Amino acid sequence: MWKKRKPESSDVSASKEGTSASTDSQQDPQLSESNRVQEDVGSIALNHGLLAMGARASTAVADSIAGGLTDADVMLRVKAGDDSAFDYLVQKYRRQIINFMYRMAHNSAAAEDLAQEVFLRVYRSRANYEPSAKFTTWLYRIATNLGVNYARDTRHERPENVMNLDEPDSETGQAQDLADKTPSVEEEILRRERLAAIKARVEALPERQKMAVLMHKYQQMDYRQIAEVLKLSESATKSLLFRAYETLRTELKEFV
Amino acid sequence: MKCTEINELLPDLAAGLASAPPGISDHLHICNECAGKLEEFRKTMALLDEWQAPEPSPYFDTRLHARLREEAARQPRSFFAWMRRPAFAVSLAVALVAGVSLFEVRKIGHGHPTQVAETSQGTSQPVQPGTAVSDLQVLDKNQDLLADSDSDTASDLLDDLQVQQDVTANP
Ligand SMILES: [Zn+2]
Repeated sequence: MWKKRKPESSDVSASKEGTSASTDSQQDPQLSESNRVQEDVGSIALNHGLLAMGARASTAVADSIAGGLTDADVMLRVKAGDDSAFDYLVQKYRRQIINFMYRMAHNSAAAEDLAQEVFLRVYRSRANYEPSAKFTTWLYRIATNLGVNYARDTRHERPENVMNLDEPDSETGQAQDLADKTPSVEEEILRRERLAAIKARVEALPERQKMAVLMHKYQQMDYRQIAEVLKLSESATKSLLFRAYETLRTELKEFV
Repeated sequence: MKCTEINELLPDLAAGLASAPPGISDHLHICNECAGKLEEFRKTMALLDEWQAPEPSPYFDTRLHARLREEAARQPRSFFAWMRRPAFAVSLAVALVAGVSLFEVRKIGHGHPTQVAETSQGTSQPVQPGTAVSDLQVLDKNQDLLADSDSDTASDLLDDLQVQQDVTANP
């Protein structure tokens, strides 16, 4: 008699739908109400951190830095709730992280978004921060992971080697006034060809070689730091870098 | 000193990040091949310098601070939410149970009698407020039954009739 059960069960489900619909509509305002209250509480509690996070550097932090605090020490202060200490780290590493991300994303807007994400992730993990590695190692590991993922996700969307002289630079957004600032359009075309080749050849390197070159060439990081970020031995990093530059030397020969 | 031993030093030497130790320096003076390679590495490095990154936008800090404030606001809130969540979940569950039982009570007291009216007495009963709902329920049920009786046998139809009777007999 399974069919006898059927209408009953459909009755039950009908009534369930009815109740869930009615509870939803009743609960929604309550939910948003309590969220709003919590937000208020949160923003009151955070007012002083929020002010400290402004452009002005905390003198206490500045003094401590002068007194020889390492980045890890500063990060421990962030962990303890000192948001102005975090602002110090942002100011210190902002430019190099943006530049690093720019050479992975090939787009300045995306680079800034990615750099923001790097700092947000660092900030989010402040409670769990342990100074087991150098702060920059940790910072660049986060940046590398984000950049590699971004590069993988957008590999097919990025127009490499595209040179359109009439349009603003797709990467920097800057307009290109060829006739104005260069002695010759021809020279400018050659310069752009070189630049496109550099980007394309670096981009074409195997992932770890590319990361190593970006850190070594453009971030002036030494073997040991790069090795730590990439979780490789120093000697493996040395040979990785040699192979990468050797490839670049060969492939860019016509431009040097 | 073998030439291959110098290879791994070339990136740092060419980038100017390190200066050649005495042994290497001596070798570079006598080995044209290594000296030539170092020079090519230097040129490659110089070429790579042409790839300049643009200046950070002036809005970077503003946007980051806004996002950090959001993030900072989220943390204590999640703490409060964590504290409140059990109580909130309990109240939600209570509301749900109350809602279900209320509806059930209404159905027992109101829903089924109208169904009885629709199915057994049908037209003789005057139209009541809220019958639109029971109509829909009956329609749904009939559609279910029709869908179920696709085998189109007499026993199925008998079963369906039995169901209708059961429904009306047990409000
Ligand atoms: Zn040699």
